Amino acid sequence: MERNLSSQVWVVIAAYNEASVIHRVISDVACRGYSVIVVDDGSSDHTAAAAFAADRVICHPINLGQGAALQTGMDYALEQGAKVIVTFDADGQHRAADIARLVRALEIAQADFALGSRFLGGPIDLPRSRLWLLKAATLFTQLSTGLRLSDTHNGLRAMTCRGAGAIRLRQNRMAHASEILSQIATSGLKYVEVPVNIEYNIYSLAKGQRLGDALMILLDLFARRLYR
Amino acid sequence: MIAQVVLSLLLIAVAIYAGNERRRSPVVAALSIIAAMAGFYFTWVPDHATRVASLVGVGRGVDLVLYIWVCINLIVLLNLHLKLRTQMELITILARATALADLRSRSMEKPESSRVLDPAAAAQGGGERLR
Repeated sequence: MERNLSSQVWVVIAAYNEASVIHRVISDVACRGYSVIVVDDGSSDHTAAAAFAADRVICHPINLGQGAALQTGMDYALEQGAKVIVTFDADGQHRAADIARLVRALEIAQADFALGSRFLGGPIDLPRSRLWLLKAATLFTQLSTGLRLSDTHNGLRAMTCRGAGAIRLRQNRMAHASEILSQIATSGLKYVEVPVNIEYNIYSLAKGQRLGDALMILLDLFARRLYR
Repeated sequence: MIAQVVLSLLLIAVAIYAGNERRRSPVVAALSIIAAMAGFYFTWVPDHATRVASLVGVGRGVDLVLYIWVCINLIVLLNLHLKLRTQMELITILARATALADLRSRSMEKPESSRVLDPAAAAQGGGERLR
């Protein structure tokens, strides 16, 4: 049963200038039997070439942002008849082994979204400033969406095709993480949180968000409410 | 008198512009119209401007009108920002459609059997491999 489902799971990886790590990330995922879509978001390095092990590489002609890249990958996966779509970071901080836990959680809970949470697992080794930033983001999202979540900015998530169909990202950049949660809340579809492990390293920490980015996310979310 | 007429014409232009923008961004349009109407009123009834100015601690009525004008400029700036965002959304839709069409055309060009692991082909516009 699970083996069958694996072939219908499409993993979407949005990548921007990740040539040095993308091959390892794809290999880890692909060897577990999942179909991999890499969306090269207008990289200036050779990310697309390095992603040759993916089932599909979609190349944005210009850099649009992670949110836009994920939406492109999700659109394509739905077009291909994916039953489950997983979003996975390209910087190597997610563990491919966690995908099976997310997919299993969707089945067991009969949910449409399985959201990874780094705070439900063991203790995490993260700089204190980053930890507080994530906690603040979680509180903000809880207040603005009403969702009871422990980790709101985790890029590892799985969704059924019905769930993916309810998501239409218009926030191209990092605010998409909050937008997804907002749309999950609006859709009324069932969601479940699943403990996942994040492997922090110098590379992924350097690519992570900072206080300035958090402020830009807030501005993006505010601006989005002002127009149709 | 000349200044009042010029300022009034500008404020009317702002109100018309805001009216045209109301469908796309109703909040910005409403703020612009309110600010323009307030500016228009205070331009022609400066005594009230002075009275309101002293109430809110601005000082002179003309300063209040000036501040309202600054507010209008900021709102228009915000509106321009929102317009740019709308443009970006359209560009995103276009870029996405282009990227997907490109992938589909490459899929149609290559027969199934010829799909191989080919980093060079991937470098030219995305790799393609079937297990």
